[in-house]
Amino acid sequence: MKDVINKRIKSGVILAVIAVVSLLYSCKDSFLDVPVTGNLNAGLLSGKLGLENALIAIYSQVNGRAGRMASPSNWVWGSIRGGDAGKGTDPGDFSDINPIQRFEALASQGVILEKWNGNYEGIARANALLRLLKAPGPDVTDADKISYEAQAKFLRAHFYFELKRAFGNTPYVDENIDVLPSAGGVEGGIEKVKNDIDLYPKIEADMTIAYNNLPVTQSQVGKVNKGAATAYLGKIFLYEKKYTEAKAKFDEIVNPDGTGKGKTSNDKTYGLVPLFANVFKGTNDNNEESIWAYQSAANTGSVNNANPEFDLNWPYNTGSDGPGNCCSFFQPTFAMGNSFRTDALGQPLLDESYNSAANELVTDMSIETGSPWKATAEFAKDATVSRFDPAKPNQERVYVALAKNTGNDPLTDATNWKLVWVENTANPPMDPRIDHSIGRRGIPYLDWADPAKYTAFPGKAWIRNQPNAGPYATKKFVYYKTDKGTLQDNTSWTPGYTAINFPIIRFADVLLMAAEAEIEIGSLATALNYTNAVRNRAANPAGFVKDVDGTPAANYVITPYVFTDQADARTKVRFERKVELSGEGHRFFDLVRWGTANTELNAFLNYERNKTQLGALKSPDAVFHPGKDELLPIPQPQIDLVTADVLKQNPGF
Amino acid sequence: MMKVYKSSRRTLLFLLCLISSFAVFAQDKVVSGTVKDETGSPIPGVSVLVKGTTTGTLTDANGQFRISTKDTDVLSFTFVGYSASEISVGSQTNIEVSLKPDVTNLEEVVVTGYSVDKRRELTGAVSSVKAKDLVFAPTGNVEQMLQGRVPGVTVITNGQPGTTSQVRVRGFGAFGGNQPLYIVDGVPTADISFLNPDDIETTTVLKDAASASIYGARAASGVIVYTTKRGKRNQKLNVTYDGMYGFTSPGKGIDMMNPTDFADWTFNAIKNTAVQNGADPVAALATFNHPQFGKGPTPVIPDYLSVGGTPGITGTVDLDAEKLKYNVDPRKGSIYQVIAANKGGTDWFKEITRNAPVYRQTLGFSGGGESHRFYIGLSAQDQKGILLNNSLKRYAIRVNSEFDILKNLRVGENIQVTYRQALGLSGSSGGQGIAADENDILSAFRMPSIIPVHDVFGGYAGTAAKGFNNPRNPVASREGQANDRAFSGGVYGNIYAELDPIPGLTLRTSIGGNYQDVFGRNYSRWQYENSENNSAFGFSQFQSYSLAWTVTNTANYKLKFGEHNIDLLAGQEALNTGAGWNSSQNGINPFSWDPNYINITNLASTNPPFSSQSKGVNFSSYFGNVKYSFKEKYILGLVIRRDGSSRFSKNQRYGVFPAASAAWRISSEPFMQSVSFVNDLKIRGGYGAMGNSNNVDPLNQYSLYGGSVGNSSYDITGANSKATTGFYRTRIGNDEAKWETSITKNVGIDGLFFGGKLDVIVDFWQKDTKDLLYQLPITSTAGPNTNAPFVNIARMLNKGIDLAITTKGNFTGDLKYEATLTGSWLKNEITSIAPGQTYLTTVNPGFRGLNPIRNQLNYPISSFYGYIVEGLFQDAGDVSNHATQNGAAAGRLKYKDVNGDGKIDDNDRTFMGSPVPKFTGGFNFILRWKGIDLTAYMYTSLGGKIFNASRWFTDFYPSFQGAAIATRVKDSWTPTNTGATIPIFESASNFSTNQIANSYYVENGNYLRLQNVTVGYTFPASMVDKWKMTKLRVYAAANNLFTITKYKGLDPGVGGNADTNFGIDVGNYPLTKQYTLGLNLGF
Repeated sequence: MKDVINKRIKSGVILAVIAVVSLLYSCKDSFLDVPVTGNLNAGLLSGKLGLENALIAIYSQVNGRAGRMASPSNWVWGSIRGGDAGKGTDPGDFSDINPIQRFEALASQGVILEKWNGNYEGIARANALLRLLKAPGPDVTDADKISYEAQAKFLRAHFYFELKRAFGNTPYVDENIDVLPSAGGVEGGIEKVKNDIDLYPKIEADMTIAYNNLPVTQSQVGKVNKGAATAYLGKIFLYEKKYTEAKAKFDEIVNPDGTGKGKTSNDKTYGLVPLFANVFKGTNDNNEESIWAYQSAANTGSVNNANPEFDLNWPYNTGSDGPGNCCSFFQPTFAMGNSFRTDALGQPLLDESYNSAANELVTDMSIETGSPWKATAEFAKDATVSRFDPAKPNQERVYVALAKNTGNDPLTDATNWKLVWVENTANPPMDPRIDHSIGRRGIPYLDWADPAKYTAFPGKAWIRNQPNAGPYATKKFVYYKTDKGTLQDNTSWTPGYTAINFPIIRFADVLLMAAEAEIEIGSLATALNYTNAVRNRAANPAGFVKDVDGTPAANYVITPYVFTDQADARTKVRFERKVELSGEGHRFFDLVRWGTANTELNAFLNYERNKTQLGALKSPDAVFHPGKDELLPIPQPQIDLVTADVLKQNPGF
Repeated sequence: MMKVYKSSRRTLLFLLCLISSFAVFAQDKVVSGTVKDETGSPIPGVSVLVKGTTTGTLTDANGQFRISTKDTDVLSFTFVGYSASEISVGSQTNIEVSLKPDVTNLEEVVVTGYSVDKRRELTGAVSSVKAKDLVFAPTGNVEQMLQGRVPGVTVITNGQPGTTSQVRVRGFGAFGGNQPLYIVDGVPTADISFLNPDDIETTTVLKDAASASIYGARAASGVIVYTTKRGKRNQKLNVTYDGMYGFTSPGKGIDMMNPTDFADWTFNAIKNTAVQNGADPVAALATFNHPQFGKGPTPVIPDYLSVGGTPGITGTVDLDAEKLKYNVDPRKGSIYQVIAANKGGTDWFKEITRNAPVYRQTLGFSGGGESHRFYIGLSAQDQKGILLNNSLKRYAIRVNSEFDILKNLRVGENIQVTYRQALGLSGSSGGQGIAADENDILSAFRMPSIIPVHDVFGGYAGTAAKGFNNPRNPVASREGQANDRAFSGGVYGNIYAELDPIPGLTLRTSIGGNYQDVFGRNYSRWQYENSENNSAFGFSQFQSYSLAWTVTNTANYKLKFGEHNIDLLAGQEALNTGAGWNSSQNGINPFSWDPNYINITNLASTNPPFSSQSKGVNFSSYFGNVKYSFKEKYILGLVIRRDGSSRFSKNQRYGVFPAASAAWRISSEPFMQSVSFVNDLKIRGGYGAMGNSNNVDPLNQYSLYGGSVGNSSYDITGANSKATTGFYRTRIGNDEAKWETSITKNVGIDGLFFGGKLDVIVDFWQKDTKDLLYQLPITSTAGPNTNAPFVNIARMLNKGIDLAITTKGNFTGDLKYEATLTGSWLKNEITSIAPGQTYLTTVNPGFRGLNPIRNQLNYPISSFYGYIVEGLFQDAGDVSNHATQNGAAAGRLKYKDVNGDGKIDDNDRTFMGSPVPKFTGGFNFILRWKGIDLTAYMYTSLGGKIFNASRWFTDFYPSFQGAAIATRVKDSWTPTNTGATIPIFESASNFSTNQIANSYYVENGNYLRLQNVTVGYTFPASMVDKWKMTKLRVYAAANNLFTITKYKGLDPGVGGNADTNFGIDVGNYPLTKQYTLGLNLGF
């Protein structure tokens, strides 16, 4: 019995020990203090390395990351709305863009919120760095502080400028306001900020600080420099129509003869890249024309660094024979193609007669790629058909019926057909930039060629839905075959990710902006120098797209401008922006600031509407409404969060 | 035996002190006997108790018992699953007892968490599920079997073996983290996919605060308590074998057009578009040149869809010559294929599915001696999914045993070692989200039937043949997963010790844990067959481990004096939900595609590896429970638990969750004695609080910075091939966040009527979650990538009625029946969110431009929101008479002008229905005739809506022109088919066609499914005895034989991966017919 009791006591003791030990362990207050994993607290970032990393995060956000609508390329907001290109592809694919290009935007649309969010994320990151700078670590020098502040404010100005152009005034928040009141002189109430103050003075102030404090060159090319701030400030002033101030800034980076004066962050004197095509080439990143570019990179572990906003904007059905392979978005419009028409003297058709029946480009609309001619139809006299000639696969042939015929093959039936597109003289004259900007049938598509199969863009075969979106493919920012796998990223669901930098401001853009300022308050002669510098570069025959035989792929004729008066100069410079910068996200914003959006866009819509069989613009509702469509609606979910008293909707929405 | 005897002596003495005057002493004698079941088989393990004492014994393996008793005693015989029987001893020395199967819930013994209670004495809302109801179908996750079985529990699941399910106890208490807490043998877990149904002994669902708040902080979404088989003392080795073999048939897909109709309707779309645009349809067809079907008035079905990339070839092709050019290896240059048209039509759903075999076998060994008992279960389940390369394997060894170290000290353990391999599963949250995914099932409905599976030389065919847009060959996709592997190894269980220092007091300590490790690898093909292909061969591998542990100490004191019963429980618990690491590596383009060659080292290029660690969440808790009953007539329960959690900051980490409940057995009152049809009637009521913290990240208390290559890296040096990762604010902290609290009210009635023929349990309940954690709705100005803090703002109300009715009886002498009806009515409503807010702006999932979900104030969670389709515009007059609507035209969708302002815009969006079913229920019917049993089980879900987003793909031409078209489109609107509900088939994509979420996609989700029919035969004991067996039953079963529904998708069981976002069907994995044969053996 005693044994039993002893054993019982023993076992009881053992049990009690287990229970008590576990009790004590879990009773310790520290038991519920579980350390944070995988994240840092603000204190760890106050040192120099931390601030440097906080800065990287702001730069990172400039391209909008996974948000295709938040990129400074503004391919939807600037180019599609401006008529450079359509959504392209199929009617229902990414149908959220359809109402945007038809000017039927609803405030609830996700694409609109994405633009808003992408830029506010950048602003938040800039504000975070500026807040950290209020209590820097001991290793942060004053020079460091100045540099970080200048870069953060440059980037913040950029994000606000993007918002201002797109939405008008939006809530202005800086580093002195945050979500919850906290230490460090930061107020709470960020969600109650109204959109009732003009953003431009704030943007100017930030960019001016950047301008005053940024160095001319930087140790890392990705960092913004004084030149970038100068050009950007000029651009901001131009949008504000402060031509004097704008001119002053442009003068700092451009010589009166149109050559560069300032320097890139990697210490190159500004200038135009000799060959237009090389502006959009990954191997030529950070060239002398690159005033500020988003540094894209492939194979980094995330395609968010590889121009993710362009991943759909490639020819279709190419298989491994062509770049990108998906998804035929961002197809240049008929009107954009026509805009590259010149007269025989190499001047653009400024009266917009390029869209007339006589002048519009012959395209391969409704003509199959390389399929044998099926002589079943009857052709009227003067009917034109395009025919792919297996003997000369690199050239497009257009035939005109000399007489009514029963559909004999023009390749073999010389009596009935005339080949009209073999000699340059018979070809319509065109600005050579068309074939750097637009992929069209019969013209070599960068170095994408397979001599056994094709040497030029094959046309319909690489277009996803020609009856819906026309015959063209985008061409700027397309990777070269030789750059496959190095300046291009194969790790994701589609191959259309590249390391080609996106130029947010390039020197040609600055020249044309400077020309605008000169025209308004300076010298027409200087404006002409600036503009012709851009035209002369385009006219460099070394830069023409060439067929396999070394001859120009089309009839490229381009000559410098002569300005007759201020109005003429305005027209020409504005047109020059259209053809030089097509597809780079500027057009819509330019039209709005010039006040010509209503006439230009409605003319464009009326023309384009009838060019396709199924296209998105067929709807009679596709109309630009002046006084409303200059701006996007403030995203409805943001208004719903703070009520319409705080966040005021733009007129008409 | 000695112990029991001794303690009974002590109890007797104790009772003597209290009520000595009634003590009657009589002569002790020994009575022996045998207990048998209704078929005459002996039942081992039956508890034999001298009524009113604690003297008792158990029957041995032959059902025999011996007990010391007196003539005046009454013996009571109880056994789980059987009605108790009481027999007066009198002069008998040998007693033969026959127990009848119990269908009376009231007599059940239910495991309610830290203790075991009799249902008679329950005051809370507790349901239990019979073990046999969990094993009838070979599901990969036993939680699926709760569907319709438990009133108040909603289970939405799909047909993927190994999938997790949306299991909700009494609605949706919060915006997230509403999965119930599972307790397996006392150890909490969130995942019970490891459990083998044949190992389970009891399943109990604790639904209200009175029953569940003993689990306090994590009980708000209900607690499901499982215990596994444990063996019995003094029982000979009992060996059981349960085997089930069968197959699942894939059933039929959605009706898609055959090649001829497809071509015709492609042309119809062009004609209709021309008419809509005011153009000449004949001219339109003459211009429009379909790559395959050509142009002109009628389509031509080609013989070849592609010859070296040229589409639409009619005539013969020199295949020998073409074969020389054939190439499907992108590394070797351009792809060259010859694809013949499949004029007979490919049934893509059939091609990606199969008759999928399944088996499950369990070998059980149980038994025990004087001082120990054990159960060993060896189980194997191998279940193929109907989808190719989708399967589940689970092998497990379970060892449960208990030893008496001393008479009053027991030590035991319940341990399971599991190997689990679930392959080819799609859908987030472990497969639960599959319906909302664009998966291979959707692909099967997007691939035109004219495309064959393979090209003429054996490669995959697909939309690389032009004209069919972008669906990807789903067979290639499924077969491409053939070498993917993922498996987890785990150990789950606990060891415990129990000590009875004085009679009635039990001290228990338990240490439990769950260790899991996972390894897997995936290969991705370099595709060539589709119009949109990837551009490399990819390989990835992943690894992780985690360890969770729980330490529980309890003291339980049971005291009985006279008619008073007191049961006291106090306890302490500390746990960690799982700490561990996970990592993964991936890259592309190994030199050889041979899986035997490929590893991370052999890849041509690799991405930076990924890894993350987790420390889990710590909880520290104290709890107590008092139960008091008087004569089983007045019953009272009080429970309280205090929890601390590392999810919350020091300021707010502790929460206290009390509950009180009471029951009154009204049938024991004198005034009820005259009501003869009432055998037992108890009214229960409970009120209390339960806590929840599932929906808040442990980091919520901190403001933090972080970064990742995807979110915040930049190529600052312009290197073109690498990026530096920067830091941004990832989180704004809220150190004042505290527990969500659900206040539950429950009133229930347990009744037994007509001599036990009718058994009714009904509960009326309400669950009001306050301090609901909700992500602070802050504007994007604070940085949309920054996680806004969760704050305690919102409120959610759930209420409902739970009902279980069982009736049983005999039709004739041998023909017996038993029917159980369970039903749950549920109403869910978001009753409050942040001030000034009307919906959760943070939840707005998109499905190809459709944003159908809005979590709105005063509506159920995850409600559908959009434009109400009033009908189709009939003509231009109809358009002009209607409110202004973008894209309006004849045959297109006409939306309701909800605010009556004459134009259709954002402000006309409104509530379109809720995916939360208003009623779910089950009906189980059993017929028994001698050894034959027939069971039928039906499940129904009523009142829920489904947003059938798959129709965006199959019903609208502009949604990827050229992809397959549903047969129902033949009944679409035309000027001569004006009564149609399907809009005109045309190309335009706009506000009035396919661009926006509207009620066209909202369908009635009601359904009734015959989930199971089983016919079994149990061989009579006499025959079985001869074969030295104790049990032999064979059965045949059919599952999901039919589903009655108006729903047009594949399966109306449409769940989702998140509670704020479910009921969307893009490509649901259906539950299909399954046939099994089974065998239950006992030795």
